[in-house]
Amino acid sequence: MKNIFSDPNKSIAAKLIIATGLLIVILSFIFWYAVSKKQKEDVMSIALKYGNSFIDFSKDSTRESLLTVDREETQQQIENLSTPEGVQSVKIFDHGGKISFTSNTNSIGTSVDKASISCRGCHEEPEKSGALLRSPQKWSVYKDEKDRTALKIISPILNETSCHTASCHAHPEEQEVLGIVEAELSLALLDEALFKQRLALIAYVIVFVFAVSLFLGIINYNIVTKPVNKLARGMEHVAGGDLDHPVHIKSIDEIGVLANTFNSMIKDLKAASEQMERWTQTLEEEVAKKTEEIQRTQTGLIQTEKLASLGRMAAGVAHEINNPLTGVVTFAHLMKKRFTPGSDDAEDIDVIIEQAERCAKIIKNLLTFARATPSERGQIVVNNVISKTMSLVKNQEKFHNVKFDLNLAEVPLVAHGDGTQFQQICLNMFLNAADAMNLRGNITVTSHEVEEDGKPFAEVIFTDTGSGIKEEDLPKLFEPFFTTKPVDKGTGLGLSITHGIVKHLGGNIRVESTIGKGTSFFVRLPLSEQTT
Amino acid sequence: MRKVLVIDDEAIVRISSKRTLVPEGYEVKLADSGREGIEILEKELFDVILLDLKMPDMGGIDVLKVIMERWPETKVIIVTGFSTVDTAVEALRLGAFNHIEKPFTPDSLLAAVQEVFDKKD
Repeated sequence: MKNIFSDPNKSIAAKLIIATGLLIVILSFIFWYAVSKKQKEDVMSIALKYGNSFIDFSKDSTRESLLTVDREETQQQIENLSTPEGVQSVKIFDHGGKISFTSNTNSIGTSVDKASISCRGCHEEPEKSGALLRSPQKWSVYKDEKDRTALKIISPILNETSCHTASCHAHPEEQEVLGIVEAELSLALLDEALFKQRLALIAYVIVFVFAVSLFLGIINYNIVTKPVNKLARGMEHVAGGDLDHPVHIKSIDEIGVLANTFNSMIKDLKAASEQMERWTQTLEEEVAKKTEEIQRTQTGLIQTEKLASLGRMAAGVAHEINNPLTGVVTFAHLMKKRFTPGSDDAEDIDVIIEQAERCAKIIKNLLTFARATPSERGQIVVNNVISKTMSLVKNQEKFHNVKFDLNLAEVPLVAHGDGTQFQQICLNMFLNAADAMNLRGNITVTSHEVEEDGKPFAEVIFTDTGSGIKEEDLPKLFEPFFTTKPVDKGTGLGLSITHGIVKHLGGNIRVESTIGKGTSFFVRLPLSEQTT
Repeated sequence: MRKVLVIDDEAIVRISSKRTLVPEGYEVKLADSGREGIEILEKELFDVILLDLKMPDMGGIDVLKVIMERWPETKVIIVTGFSTVDTAVEALRLGAFNHIEKPFTPDSLLAAVQEVFDKKD
């Protein structure tokens, strides 16, 4: 409240206080003026009443001495009458205006001023003089030389029977007015009283205006300024984006209603903003999900394209290699015929034929994987293939320091497909494991039946005790040409081919690895119905 | 004399076939393209034709169609380096007698060729 008057244009309370204050001041002035006037009139009427009494008293006091024409007595009476405080002068003058008796002895015998207030009435309008003179008293109020209010009152001394029958015969019977008694009374005391009353009234008005203004100010501050300021602050918060500050106004008047409306508005705004935030978040999540899907699809497409390229390349290579292999096989057979069967030479030639045929088989598998060539439909007896492949590699130099642990299912697991292809998978797994362990460690092969999407699968787990695979390499593991082996050792095709064959057989492959501990490959192949 | 024509763009396959078949008493002629094969066929008749499917200027399937149209009596054995069920079925549908895969062994080649004459007899 302290600073609302610093710029009244900005404060409703200041405007209201100033407006009501001005109204009160104006009304108080009118009230003060009316009361003052009425007081003055009342006081004057009382003063006049006392003045008339005084004149009548003066006339009564001097009547006897005037009738007896005792001038000294009359003069004495007049002087006595003018002694009390407030009586300035008392005089009696005749019809011609000559002063006969007066408290101011110096002016005896002089004439009264015709322009004086007592004479003006008759002398300015002579035709009215008869009526005027007959009226018992005449008076006027004026300011004396000291600027004090004074009352001059005159009363005619009318001719009476006792006057014109008196022994002095001074006045004829037809003379109506014999003389005039004039008293000048000071109203200074009344002036003072009125002045004090006016001062008191002014003081009262000032106190009243101040008190009313203060009261209005406090009322305004509590009813208008304070809640409006609260509202303004609330709106500033909202404008600044803060929707957590409702306005607390308890009243049920218009401002209370405004505050409630404002609160429900910010509540709605907050709800809308939260909804928007949720939408944005959902949208972001959706976008992230879609982006991930697109990335996955893209990765899949890249993978597919890579495999397709590999397929085209493999087809070309297979075709080119099969021709020279035909030559090798044919001429090896031709040569063999020249040697005695069972001789060392014949056996050596057998090795050539065997290896050439192995090459042919590898190429065929490569084609199978790359071009999804439908392989000979048959059955894979999982445990048998694992055992066979193990015995095949066990005697090779590469596996001399590798220990095999087989933990195979007791029931036979039979999957659809070409046994040679599954052997290829096992071979690749063993070769990779041996490389990962630097040719020294344990390979554990576990097989069992699992269920996936309600269908039975044979799961074969190849676990090595090798160095493990770095997490960032895991997603790229099955990509063609991805290898961590030295350039001359790995082509990056082994796991890719394995992946291709597993997919071709309708299964799946995944990997789990811990750096320093080893790696496990989980190969799942759908079981054929005979098994279950 | 049983006559065999080998149509293959690969010299080693032609030679291998010839070296396998000649000692077994077959008369063998060689053509290094489909076109040359047809030219030879226009001059003399053969009992069996060993036909490579993948050749540069004229593919084996096209050559097979010509042979089936003009020399329907001649038996064609398709030799392919990347045999698939589809191409094999396609060739057999067009009238090929049989098919063998590269790399073939002398025994498998002889067996396939011999089969033609076994059925004829």
